[in-house]
Amino acid sequence: MTDPDDDVLICRCEEITLGEIKEAIARGATTLHEVRRRTRAGMGLCQGRTCGTQVARIIAEHTGRPLKEIMPATARPPVRSIKVKELGGEQHCCPKERT
Amino acid sequence: MLPQRADVVIIGGGVIGASIAYHLAKRRIEAVLIERSSICSATSCSCDGFVFMQSKKPGIHLELALESAKRFETLEAELGAPIEYENCGGMVIIEGSEEIPAMERYVKEQQEIGLDVTLLDKHEARKREPALSEKIVGATYSPQDSQVNPMFLTFAFIDRAKELGARVFTDREVTAITRTGGREWIVRTGTEEIRTALVVNAAGPFAPKIGRMVDLEIPITPRRGQLLVTETLPRLITSIFLSAKYIAAKFNPDLAQKAGEGISIEQTASGTLVLGSTREFVGYDGCVTNEGMATIAARASQVIPRLNEVHIIRAFAGLRPYTPSGLPFLGFVEGLDGFIMAAGHEGDGIALAPITGDLIAQLIASGKTDIPLDAFQRGLGTP
Repeated sequence: MTDPDDDVLICRCEEITLGEIKEAIARGATTLHEVRRRTRAGMGLCQGRTCGTQVARIIAEHTGRPLKEIMPATARPPVRSIKVKELGGEQHCCPKERT
Repeated sequence: MLPQRADVVIIGGGVIGASIAYHLAKRRIEAVLIERSSICSATSCSCDGFVFMQSKKPGIHLELALESAKRFETLEAELGAPIEYENCGGMVIIEGSEEIPAMERYVKEQQEIGLDVTLLDKHEARKREPALSEKIVGATYSPQDSQVNPMFLTFAFIDRAKELGARVFTDREVTAITRTGGREWIVRTGTEEIRTALVVNAAGPFAPKIGRMVDLEIPITPRRGQLLVTETLPRLITSIFLSAKYIAAKFNPDLAQKAGEGISIEQTASGTLVLGSTREFVGYDGCVTNEGMATIAARASQVIPRLNEVHIIRAFAGLRPYTPSGLPFLGFVEGLDGFIMAAGHEGDGIALAPITGDLIAQLIASGKTDIPLDAFQRGLGTP
């Protein structure tokens, strides 16, 4: 069963289409977590902030499960992306700058 | 609903349980897998994808890993699903000259077992991987190290197992295991139950909880590993990296109390870098900590200075099933007819999943295994 909408990009960061999400659901995924692990939807730069709700609605539509059981996927730190040197505090890498 | 009975009941839907389910299904042995949450939802989805030979103890541990590595080469075709397996080669990064003698010894032992590994000086290492810091002392390199997507691997096993007839039940937590009057086990999950001649405990860091249901003391301790994920980058490194300190921490638990003694770095198929890992004994606390994240960031940027300008987009932590011997528990348990262990791989579960699944399936099918399992049963006790 092919749907012309299957090519529509849902997760823009990871370029995951509606068709790929539907396939993950067909293989047994019933939560955002599971769709994420199977497809990488929500694993990109925005960490699912853009597509999360949409993916959840797709799952709800195809499984009949209530949205509150599907959302949210665990939010992982950091809240916004942060440079390695800011996170690590340049503890060891630039001794000259540490006075 | 769970069926009334099955030849084998596997407890745990991580990479080990999934591999066992697949290898049993391939042999047309009827298996039911029970998972308390969803497939690949704990240890196997919160780890790196290393299939690293150089980090295995020379001896039976390395032999097992080499056997597993062979299977990875054909696994994607066999399972018919992408697992992002890449025979990328691996390096152990030496940052202090005091580490050289130990690494020389280690390399020699590994070579004797048949691992293709060489010691490189700083220039040779940086020629191979220009992103490495000028401050490193040297590295060991093996073309036999590889990487894989651990989640894709687990799902590929479980999907193929299901296609071949395995039955998988999620959102069911095993609450009790009892004996029937005969030779069968009854595995209960709340209101449901299933009878079986063979129970396989593949519950990873949660295996001791399953063990207690049959009065079996299993010396597996959860050990937390925190990891960071960077934004997607063009190819920065081609092989996977471990620091020599990581190897020391792995085999010396006293060292490992400190977060980030060693570092692991891989660039995944999607272009992100996964930076790890702490090795902490903090019970079943699977949270990331500021200290853990900061330590990994600082240590990773010592190995690859260019990482300083790269963004971290995610941090996560997983619990590894640590065992005192460094070896997993595999095979039948003496004094417990029909109870099989397949847990305790610590950070080697992904790398050892193919061979573990095959060996357990061999054991169930014929009572014999290609690799003797005696070494993997020491330290288990029934009171």
